Amino acid sequence: MDIIKLKHITKQYDDGFVALKNINLTIESGKFYSLLGPSGSGKSTILRIIAGFSQPSSGQVFFDGKDITDLDAAKRHINTVFQNYALFPHLNVFENVAFGLKIKKQPMDKIKPAVKEALHMVRLDGYANREISELSGGQQQRVAIARAIVNEPKVLLLDESLSALDKRLRKDMQFELRAIQKKLGITFIFVTHDQEEALSMSDEIFVLNDGMIQQSGSPVAIYDEPVNDFVARFIGDSNILSGRMIKDYEVEFANNKFKCADGGIKPNEKVEVVIRPEDLDIVAPEKGNIVVTAQTQLFLGDHFEIKAVDANENEWLIHSTNGVKLGERVGLFFDPEDIHVMRLNESQEDFDARIEKYEGDENEN
Amino acid sequence: MRNKHLIARIYLSFTLVLLYVPIFYLIYFSFSSGKNMNKFEHFTFAHYQTLFQDNRLLAIFLETILLALLSSLIATIIGTFGAIAISAMKKEAHKNTTLALNNVLMVSPDVIIGASFLIFFTALGIGLNFGSVLLSHIAFSIPIVVLMVLPRLNEMDYSLIDAARDLGANSWQVFSHVLIPTIMPGIFSGLFMALTYSLDDFAVTFFVTGNGFSTLSVEIYSRARQGIDLEVNALSTVMFLFVLLLVGIYYFITTKKSRRKNHRVIGGLVK
Ligand SMILES: Nc1ncnc2c1ncn2[C@@H]1O[C@H](COP(=O)(O)OP(=O)(O)O)[C@@H](O)[C@H]1O
Ligand SMILES: [Mg+2]
Repeated sequence: MDIIKLKHITKQYDDGFVALKNINLTIESGKFYSLLGPSGSGKSTILRIIAGFSQPSSGQVFFDGKDITDLDAAKRHINTVFQNYALFPHLNVFENVAFGLKIKKQPMDKIKPAVKEALHMVRLDGYANREISELSGGQQQRVAIARAIVNEPKVLLLDESLSALDKRLRKDMQFELRAIQKKLGITFIFVTHDQEEALSMSDEIFVLNDGMIQQSGSPVAIYDEPVNDFVARFIGDSNILSGRMIKDYEVEFANNKFKCADGGIKPNEKVEVVIRPEDLDIVAPEKGNIVVTAQTQLFLGDHFEIKAVDANENEWLIHSTNGVKLGERVGLFFDPEDIHVMRLNESQEDFDARIEKYEGDENEN
Repeated sequence: MRNKHLIARIYLSFTLVLLYVPIFYLIYFSFSSGKNMNKFEHFTFAHYQTLFQDNRLLAIFLETILLALLSSLIATIIGTFGAIAISAMKKEAHKNTTLALNNVLMVSPDVIIGASFLIFFTALGIGLNFGSVLLSHIAFSIPIVVLMVLPRLNEMDYSLIDAARDLGANSWQVFSHVLIPTIMPGIFSGLFMALTYSLDDFAVTFFVTGNGFSTLSVEIYSRARQGIDLEVNALSTVMFLFVLLLVGIYYFITTKKSRRKNHRVIGGLVK
């Protein structure tokens, strides 16, 4: 069921800067969403518009089918975990978490168990009487989450909530957040600039750049089939080469012709080809699709990151479990499915339509 | 290095002694049985006895304190709202102009302010009494309150206000549950400053006080003109102790507060 819908949202700030351009998105209830994009891409602006802290310049916000564009933030069934936590420094942990319930004039004998339950959920049992200043960053983070979920919102917004934590804590919190979301069964909209975080936590990702949604879809779809080179570069490492479509299921790049899995593109059209570094296998030179010379090699704990060049001076990034000798000529092998062809300036709608079409063709044959 | 520390310490002690010697000299002679401060005769509480039997002086003492409390309280309320209004101004130019006007009042000599109040009150036909003194004390205390509260507002994390709204607070609840508590330390220093400003003002009060009402500083001044009476010393001692008590209370409250939350940034990630 759809819970939030943004329709044609644009946002122009007072200084004239256009932060969002025609944003359309649909959020279903009970799922974990990520808004992923580089800093300044408009993620927080979208979140603030959903929460009601800021008004869109044009467009509408729907919640549960009702237009809430002009509804006050205080009246929305949405709560936010802020980027810097925004805990009230003059209140202790209990009072912070109880804030929303007290405002709603709930009786104390209801507030107490609810706060206890919320603190239990974020594993802060026994911290109720602590002052905020006595807590570590990770604990403050948990209080901020407890303060939001105690109000039983239908949607929880989290703005770069894990960015201030160190790497270990961050990994732990990723698991915990996911567990809390599953347990509560409510919708989470999580803002992050960290693609790994978004890929590992989300059911759905919206990739943003320059105030526009570049692509939306499941982590796997976005990783395997980026619609443009921004998404391909932003999500994970990739080899992007310019090429030319020969015909359906055949593409030319790096001065060679290869079978591929993409179609529906005009013959001779200029395209870009994406191959993920982990899809490249190192083989003997005569067995490879392409022959390269290894130049640098880094051991990253669970794999080697190898940089190599081919005869046409194209750089190749390879992830391999085994190392190579530097300066040695090796072959690179990849399957047709490992090649992802992108048309230049193709929008997601066109992309989806094309895929539908040629997959349809395939079924007829 | 050691030497430097020693010199610094001697310098500091010397300055402090220099500042406090006149006060202690005054206190010392309040216990002398003589008529003047030329020679300490022998120890007595006689001046304190006359002081506590001097109903006029006691009434003035109480009225001075009432005036200080009332004017500082009202000035704090007005000044706090003023500071909030200034910090809410969108245009930087407006903000700076208002602040500059505020600061002009801070630095103008008391004599000028006093004289202008006198002209103002007589022009409007307002009688010179407790009311006129109260009004002028409120007026000259407001700028200092604004100056004490404004920094707190500037360093406040505005996402606290979003957070309160997010949790369902209406404008009044945001104001009373979040805004005021977070800037409370600033409001408190403002109140204290206004209190001391009112207590030790002489010049402005001198202009706007009429026959019916006087404050301690004006009263002491007019008595001192008729030749120093050691009763004034006793009164000064009492005042000194009173101020000491005030400072003690202020210190106690502020350190207790900061122990409760020893953080620098207001809101946000509290380290
Ligand atoms: N109040 C504002 N006035 C003007 N520009 C703003 C304001 N808030 C944000 N911006 C601009 O809008 C763009 C998007 O901001 P934001 O949504 O915070 O990005 P993100 O959260 O993705 O880093 C940025 O370029 C930022 O500078
Ligand atoms: Mg942001």
